[in-house]
Parts: sequence; C-alpha cells; structure tokens
Amino acid sequence: MTADAVTLAVALPLLAGFLSPALGRSSRTAAQWLGWAALAASAAVLWSVWVRLDGGTAAVAVGGFRPPLGIAFYLDGMALLFALAVPVVTLLFWPRAGTPQQFALTLVLAAAATGLALSGDIFNLYVFYELTAVASFGLVAAHEARRAQAAALRYLLLSAAGSVLLLAGIAVVYLRTGTLNLAHLATLAPERLQDPVGLAAFALMLLGLGVKAELFPVNGWVPEVYSSVSGRLAGLLAGLVSKLAVLVVVRALVLVFPRPEAAELMLVLGTLGIVVGELAAWRARDLRRQFAFSSIGQLGIVFVAFSVPGPAGIVAGLAVALHHLLTKPALFLLAERWGGAIEGLRGAGRGQWLASTLFILFALSLVGVPPLPGFWAKLLTVMSLMEQGTGPARAGAVVVMAATVVEAAYLFRTLGVLLARESGAESPQPHRGPDLATASLAGLILVGSVFALRPLGDGLKALAAQAVDVDGYVRTVLGGPGMAVSHPASQAPGGAGGGARVAHVPPEIAS
Amino acid sequence: MSLPPLEIVLYAGAVSLLIIGLAGLVMSEHLVRLVLALGVAEAGGNLLLVLTGFRQGAVAPILLGAAPSGPMVDPIPQALVLTAIVIGVGVQALALALVLRVRRAYGTVHMSALRARLVEDLDEAAGLPPEGSREAPGVERPV
Amino acid sequence: MRNFTSLLFAGGLGFFLLVLAADLPLGAPPMLAGQGVLAEGAAATGAANLVTAVVLAYRGIDTLGELSILFAAAAGVGLVLGRARRRPDAEADPEGGFILLAAADLLFPLLVIVGLYIVLHGHLTPGGGFQGGVVLAAAFFLPLLGRPRNALDHAVIGWIEGLAGAVFVGIGLWALAARGEFLAPLLGKGTLGALFSAGTLPLLYIAVGLKVGAEIAGLMSTLQETEAAGS
Repeated sequence: MTADAVTLAVALPLLAGFLSPALGRSSRTAAQWLGWAALAASAAVLWSVWVRLDGGTAAVAVGGFRPPLGIAFYLDGMALLFALAVPVVTLLFWPRAGTPQQFALTLVLAAAATGLALSGDIFNLYVFYELTAVASFGLVAAHEARRAQAAALRYLLLSAAGSVLLLAGIAVVYLRTGTLNLAHLATLAPERLQDPVGLAAFALMLLGLGVKAELFPVNGWVPEVYSSVSGRLAGLLAGLVSKLAVLVVVRALVLVFPRPEAAELMLVLGTLGIVVGELAAWRARDLRRQFAFSSIGQLGIVFVAFSVPGPAGIVAGLAVALHHLLTKPALFLLAERWGGAIEGLRGAGRGQWLASTLFILFALSLVGVPPLPGFWAKLLTVMSLMEQGTGPARAGAVVVMAATVVEAAYLFRTLGVLLARESGAESPQPHRGPDLATASLAGLILVGSVFALRPLGDGLKALAAQAVDVDGYVRTVLGGPGMAVSHPASQAPGGAGGGARVAHVPPEIAS
Repeated sequence: MSLPPLEIVLYAGAVSLLIIGLAGLVMSEHLVRLVLALGVAEAGGNLLLVLTGFRQGAVAPILLGAAPSGPMVDPIPQALVLTAIVIGVGVQALALALVLRVRRAYGTVHMSALRARLVEDLDEAAGLPPEGSREAPGVERPV
Repeated sequence: MRNFTSLLFAGGLGFFLLVLAADLPLGAPPMLAGQGVLAEGAAATGAANLVTAVVLAYRGIDTLGELSILFAAAAGVGLVLGRARRRPDAEADPEGGFILLAAADLLFPLLVIVGLYIVLHGHLTPGGGFQGGVVLAAAFFLPLLGRPRNALDHAVIGWIEGLAGAVFVGIGLWALAARGEFLAPLLGKGTLGALFSAGTLPLLYIAVGLKVGAEIAGLMSTLQETEAAGS
C-alpha cells in the first residue's frame, strides 16, 4: 500500500456518510454497520501507512498535482498519531442511539478531523475546519432538549464569526505570499511574513482556530454546549476536535509564523484561558460545567506549552494534549452517569466502586499527582517554560502551578461529595445506561502508560523532533530546498498529464 | 479631485463590510439580525479573498479560442471564494433553521433573553437551585 | 462592557486592516501558485476554464469538503426541523395567484435547461456544478411556491444527494485505483474548448450539480414546510 492510500482515510468515511441517510431509510442497522466499516477501514489504512513509514515522513500530492499548485497531505508521526486517534475515538464514542443522519454527521466529522491532522494547505485546512464545525453544530442540535438547540445556535454564531476572521487571515497571507501550501509558505515566510502584517494574519487565524480549540476569549460556547449534549458527544468534541484545532495552530506557528511575538500571543491567551477556565470550574456547581471549564483550563495549558519554541515545547504540549484526550472524554462519560448538581451527588459514588475508582484515577491524573501521566505532562510544561526563561514564560509556569492548586481544590471537593458517608435526600441512581467500558479502557491505558513512561517519552521526543524540522517538511513536500523559492511556473509538468509528484517517499513505501 | 485607485476602493469596501458585519454580530439583539450580520461579514471576507487575485487590467482566466490577449487574473482565489460562498450558504441555512426551532421552543428571538433562559435551562437540567441562592448556606466551600 | 470591548476590537481590526492596505500588494499579487496554474493548468487538465481546473483538479479535495459541508448543513437542518415539520392535517398555505402559477410553469423548463447547460459547460465557460445546481434547485422549488400543497419527496432527494456524493468519491477512488492518486483526472483530455474534453472533470461537475441541486432544493423545501406549520 503506497502512502497515497492515506486519502482513503478521509474519503471512505465521507462516502459512508453520504450514503448513510439514504440507506438508513430502509435499514438503520445497515447504515450503522456501514459507518463502523468505514471508520475501521480508515483506521486500518492509517495504521498500515504508519507501519510502512516506520518513523519517516512522506507527502501525498492529492490528485497528483505537485505542491504548491495542488494540495498536499503531509504525513509525519504527529499527523498520523492524531489522524489515527480520530477513527478510534469516533468508534468508541459512536452515537449508538442516534438516527442515520447523526451517523452521517459523525462520519463527516471524523473525515474532517482526519483531514485536519493530515492536510498541509491552509485553505484546505480551513475547509476541513468548517466541516468539523458544521458537522458538530448538527450533532449538538440533534439533541431533543431545547437547550441543545439554543446552545448550538450560540455556538454557530461565535464559530462563524471566528471563521470569517480565519478567512481574512488566510486572505492576507495569500496576498502577501501568493501560495497556500504550508511548506511553500515556510520557505517564503522569512522574507514576506516577518512584519506586523504577518503577525496580524497569525492573530486572525489564531482567533479563528481558537473557537474550536477553546482558546480564550472565544470559548463562551464551551460550557453551554458540553452541558447540553450527551456525554459521548461532549467527549468527542472536548477530547478530539479541540486537539485537532490545536494541532493546526501548532503547524502554522512552527512553519509559517516562527516569531517570538506570535508565540507570546499564544502564551498570553493560553494563560488567560487557564485562569478563567480553572476559576470558573472552581465556581461551577454541577459536574458537567465543572468539566467543561476544566477543559478550557487544560487547553490553556496546551497552548502555553506549545508556545515554547523548539522540541521541548512540542513534547510538553503533546503530552498535555494526549493526556487530556485520554481523560476528559472518560470524565464526561462518568459525568453522564451521575450528572447534575455536585451537591446532589452526596454519597452517589459509594457502592459504584468501578466508576468511583475511575473517577479518582482521572481526577488525580488531571490534577497531576505523581506518578500518574498527568504529573509528567505538567512537569514537562513547567520545566520547558522555566528553561525558556523569559518573563512571560516564567509567569506562565507560575500560572500553571497555581492552576494545579485550584484544580486540586475543586476536583477533591467533588470527590469528597461523591464519596461522602451520609447520603443526600435521595441518592441519585445512574439514570442512563452504564457506559463504563470506554471509561475503563481509558483508565487502563492511563495506568498502563505509567509503566511505559520512558518509551512514551522517547516516542514523543521523536515526534517533536520531526514536527519542528521545518527543513525536513519543506524537503518532503517540495522535494528539495531552494526549489520552492524559484518560480513554480518555470518547472515544466512531468509525468502523464497531472504533473510530477515530487514527494519524497522512502524506498520501502514506493514498492 | 482624483479618485483613489480601484483596488484601494475595493479593499476598503471589503474591510468595511467585514467590520460592519462583525459589529452587527456583537451589537444585534434579534436573532435574525445576527444571521444577517453574519451574512454581511461573510460577504466582506469573501470579497477580501477574491480581491487577492485581482490584477490591474487582467482578463478572466478562461482560454477560449485564440491565446489570451493580456495577463489573466489569479484563478486560485476565484476557486477559493466559490468554496467559501458555499460554506457560508450552508452555515446560514443551518443558522436560520436553528433560529426557527429556538423561537418555537423558547418563544423569543432576542439574544439576551435566550442566553438567560439557556442558563436557567442548564441549571434546571443539572438540578440546581436558581442562581440567587449561590451563597446560601449548605453550599460547601473549600478551605 | 462586553459590547464595548468587542466593538473596540472590531473597530481596531478595521482600522488596522485599512492601514495594512499600504503594505499589501493590491492589484499586483505575487501569484506564485497562480502563475503555475495559468501556465500549465490547461495542459494538465484539459479544461478551458482555469477556475474549474483549480476547483475540480488542483483543489479537488477542497471541493469534496465543500460538498460535505453542504451535505452536513442539509442533514443538520433536517435534524433540527425534522420534528417540527408540518403535520398531515395542518392547513397548508393558500395556492399562489395566476402570475405565480403561470410563471412557475413557464420558467420550470427554462430553468432546467439553463441549469443543465451551466453544469455541462462548467469546464468551458464561467459556471459549473455549484452555480448550475442552484439554478436546478430553483427550478424544482419554484413550483412549490405556487402550489404549497405539493411537497418534494425527501426520500428521492436523499438518494440523489447520497448517490451523487458517492459518484464524486467513486471517481476519486477510481483514480486512486487506476493512477494511484485520489481524484487525479482520468480519461482523454480532448480538444481544449470542446464539450467532450477535460477527462473526468465534467463528470465530477455533473455529480456536483446534482448533489448541490438536491441539497439546496431539500433545504428550501424543509424550511418552507416548517414555515407552513409555524405559529
């Protein structure tokens, strides 16, 4: 299987999604199986490509048009890791009780999220970003309760405003550089985007992408949406979609805007996100909104970590992001089990030992109690910030540590209520079907990773080294340094019709 | 008095539409107006995008018959703006459908009222007492 | 307060963007990728309309994503309004007057022909699947304005949009199987400017036209049916 097959990971879920509503009119079960099959095939394709790449990188010229004229997908460890997480997590959080339309939207969401991880073209990223947005509006609004529709409408308006800013940012970048390909932009950025105009373009794109990534100040939708929808959908949006938006921001920061001011902007907004999110979580009186605000805080930490230049920041950011990807969806599933006001949960955890144990585990890891992975993720973040040594970075480190204290305060308070000896007026029984299998799986992975810290750390370091390797990226996509700066039109198209594919492909892939 | 160059006029128009739309999104209260403001902002964004391919005195990038007489404008932004317009249509249709549904469910088309009712709904769904009793005794505070 | 800060942001952004104008190459863009498309686009795709070459060939996957967005929006509207639609016993809007009815009857064939023409000539002249699809949708929606009692069959619309989308992806997969590249153009390129030219691009645009037409028609008819049941 060649690396080109990776486009199947986007195409197959879309195909299944297109057919799902029509098929679902005659058989809902068939639509469901079609969706599962497409996601499984997508995961299999990504997995086999990852195995074949074996730590290398590759670029795929979609349609055979060589970048920068056509759209390129870029495959490195970071892209494939997040792309592979998409079908897996989507399968785990599949809307089992949904209609064929919901299946279709979930599949479209998965395809778009995969595209966000792989694509190396800013406008193509915008299209996939909008696709995740529209699919998630539909999924949120599909809930019966009227609050879901109101939340979806408010989410839509904010997100659409953000998209306009993103589009304006892309327009400015294109006007300055005349290209949309990230690798080509990386070669042009030093001379064309190193000024206030470039910084403005980055700020516009950051605000646009920040809506999905729960970045301060465009995260007003988070508590409303997450507390109106099912735990599965909240888990999917908080765990997966937000991370992919962050991934896009990181790619843009590393490749196109490698300026201290851009990183500082991310640091400041991330820090504000931590402060606002954690304080609101501390004040929250119900479980769902507590987790939603805590999610804002955690994403703030991710942004702060990624703002550190070089591989150290990428390693820390990836660690926090992956840890959050693992814990927060599982916590939302547990929140669905208990739901409701924290005070009303008095004693609810007693007698449900598996759920309580999982909750304790995730809470401890989220706070960052050693030796759980959450501790190492936060440690990496704080250390990389301190090593950077600038004033704002130190302040960020202090805020991260202070946030830990606040997180501990509210999570332990909730824990105390859950496990209180005396029972409340009427102890709320789990009113929805137990969804412990997925949460247990996340718990097992979390515990398992404690025993594999060293290989995990090495793996992350390898990913980060690849991710910050701008020259490698440019070489892989454009097939050689310097070529992109020369005029693209001067290179005659080779091959039959479609132009030559100049992607660098390791020999074992080409076979 | 001489007119400013055409591209500056176009650019100023696009940016103005963008800003008018964004300001409308912030200040409007009526839900339908918010959707309209979104449309205006999107129109501004799209104009800005298509303007990136504008060249003085160039013709449309269509090769018909003989070789093109003059320079042609950049075809890529035209393709991009087609995509952006279609995206905008989809988003606005969904927004209007949601407005219809929300009006029927809440009986209001005002954003501030909707926000207040939404928070009430969320509190109610979580089984919380109304906001007023936040500091009432019995709500445990961490030390 | 929130209004004030946001307004300040909007105003500041506007001022800033206007000031930027001096630093932007307006009217003489760098066109690094654009020049490449202008130089080789016709030879590589066989389409006389280079915008179509970009939409369907160079940035074909963008177009697939764009179709998916329209599809997701239509599915979302269906989900949002699905339960709020007209009950069978509800009173329908009154039938349109003579002018509306006659215009609907007269315009229907014209709109269908114009729509098909625009779809089929997308690779030669301005237009294409999106523009033509909207005209086709208007052709089918216009009679509904005159006769609100009739309704479009949503099952048929569902199949058309599903199959048209599947055909688009299918052509892409065919290219993946034949050329090893998803959505690469196939078939002979023909003579530049002829109706049968540009390989698979016209086929892709037909799929786009059908899908867009079905989706827009479905969207508008869903909204109209809801309107009828409203208040």
